[in-house]
Amino acid sequence: MSQSFSIGGLLRRPEAGAFLGLVAVLIFFGIFGGVAFLKPAGMSSWLNVAANLGIIAIPVGLLMIAGELDISVGAMVPFGAMTTAIIAGHWDQSIWLAIVVTLSFALVIGLVNGLLVIRTAVPSLIVTLGTLFAVQGIVLGMTVLIAKSTSVALKTEGPAKAIFGDFIPVVFKGQLQSIVVWWLLAAAAYVFFVHFSRRGNWIFAMGGDKVSARNAGIPTERMTMLLFVLSATSAAFVGMCQAIQFNSAQVAGGQSFIFNSIISVVIGGVLLTGGFGSVVGIFFGTITFAVVNQGIYYTDFDRNWSALIIGVLLLIAVLLNNTFRKMALTHAPKKK
Amino acid sequence: MKLARKLMAASAVAMMATGAMAADIAVIGGSNDDAFWNIIKKGLDDATPGIVANGGSVNYLRLVNYDNFAPDVVQLIRTAISMEVDGLVIPNWVPEAEDPAIKDAMAAGIKVILMNAGGADKARELGAINYVGSDEYVAGVAGGEYFASHGQKNVLCVNTIPGAANLEARCQGVIDGMTAGGGTAAQLPLPSTSFGDATAVAEAIKAELLKDETIDGIITISAGDADSAAVGIDQAGKTGATMLGSFDLNQAGLDRIKGSTQMFAIDQQPYLQGYLAASLLASAIDFGTSLPTFPVLTGPGIVDASNIDATLAGVAKGAR
Repeated sequence: MSQSFSIGGLLRRPEAGAFLGLVAVLIFFGIFGGVAFLKPAGMSSWLNVAANLGIIAIPVGLLMIAGELDISVGAMVPFGAMTTAIIAGHWDQSIWLAIVVTLSFALVIGLVNGLLVIRTAVPSLIVTLGTLFAVQGIVLGMTVLIAKSTSVALKTEGPAKAIFGDFIPVVFKGQLQSIVVWWLLAAAAYVFFVHFSRRGNWIFAMGGDKVSARNAGIPTERMTMLLFVLSATSAAFVGMCQAIQFNSAQVAGGQSFIFNSIISVVIGGVLLTGGFGSVVGIFFGTITFAVVNQGIYYTDFDRNWSALIIGVLLLIAVLLNNTFRKMALTHAPKKK
Repeated sequence: MKLARKLMAASAVAMMATGAMAADIAVIGGSNDDAFWNIIKKGLDDATPGIVANGGSVNYLRLVNYDNFAPDVVQLIRTAISMEVDGLVIPNWVPEAEDPAIKDAMAAGIKVILMNAGGADKARELGAINYVGSDEYVAGVAGGEYFASHGQKNVLCVNTIPGAANLEARCQGVIDGMTAGGGTAAQLPLPSTSFGDATAVAEAIKAELLKDETIDGIITISAGDADSAAVGIDQAGKTGATMLGSFDLNQAGLDRIKGSTQMFAIDQQPYLQGYLAASLLASAIDFGTSLPTFPVLTGPGIVDASNIDATLAGVAKGAR
């Protein structure tokens, strides 16, 4: 890089706003939540939530940068949990088989989403709304048909438990879920993919103007398919890890991931209209969202007001982010 | 020849007489893919042979789905009236929609029992024979008293869907039951952003336990939330110190009770709702019995270490 290091330059990076939003809420809860919130037990509390959400939020955010939406992730989480629990729990098959089958099915659903969006030109919000309901129906129908219940228990032992759904020993007093490692690895891989490879620029170009992007020779259809496959498998992966972690899967639930992932992405500085954003920003946005949600339990505020405080803090975080983005975009370097 | 004809006539009269007396019952219930209603159906199926032995019949009218809920239920009540049944077992889910149809059924001479939903006051108001079901508040009180009598001092009722009247009643019952037993209890309403995210629920419970060291009891409003709570308690390092209870049952929860990492679960015992509602109604129609117990509460039934093996046997037979 040719530019030299400076604090001003750092502040003008696209993810700086998201980072400052995070710092602001950390200070808020440092004051009102006390030290318990920043000790290992408290930190793991929001890191675990951020990891589960973050694995889904990054591909959802990339889709939004590319000008698409995927809300079927809300059904893919219970889908992943239930498929794993039925194969490894109800049928008592190998957990590895369950993992492979779960992720393969998710890949197929992602392909269906992508194909429908490309072929029908129906807005992806509507297409994935359809698959959201369809997958929910499949999960409920098949689960009751197979297991005669809406809740299936799952006992996992050995390496699969440790890798996908256990608490990491020693570090953080054994309070971090193993999914946190997956989240960090995934985030690093996405940073490389989006910001240091040619394909990353394709995503931004698609969100800016899809027709021009295609005319410029970008394989927009293949990229769209890839992004939908990523979001579907990521959501199923999170569901699978939760089933292994909590030894049980329910047909309901997972819906909160739809809204929460979109909120995290927007806090992270991605424009709802597409074409602008960064993986690191989404990463910080997810942590901000998790901190605000979990921090509330360390404070003395009456719990009936939790949602209000969460809403106000999230708004402040987004406003901070926007202010800094404007400052960054309008900045003109002084002549030397 | 004459004798034979007389005998035939007599038996025909006898058959007509039993036909008029026997209880033809219609039962309206939830959809096929609803696990809870399949347990109620098991109760109905077990009560049916006795009713059939007295010349009656049981017809189970199920909702296909819950998409068009109130109109579909009313339609099923109208169907039962047109079938000219003698008795009707009906959950009063949507009183404002169902009440007129239930009154029409009574006007047509059909005897009615409310089951599962509606409550005793509604049954009295409509003039139903009885109400067979549970009372969420009473179930909550039982949970609170259970905690208090086992030495718990400070209990948290985790509500993942704050604002739902029946769940608020559960938590209010727990609070009143604990207070009566000399302890304290509070409701923890979780924001909707955490509903359905097991990690968020577990971490919320862990955080509350870390913040308030005196909490020695957690109760969740659903069996699924108890799965999260078990992990939250474990992560706070409070296993054995903070006891876990739940409303409703699932396999993972029963396994925890068996392995003594969960203290108890409160069951509304749907099997009894199906079994008792059908038998009570048939007996009232056939023999004119009337039960002074009103309402007939099928819950709360507490499942804990003392009866877990019998409960698991019931699960295997589809009755729990």
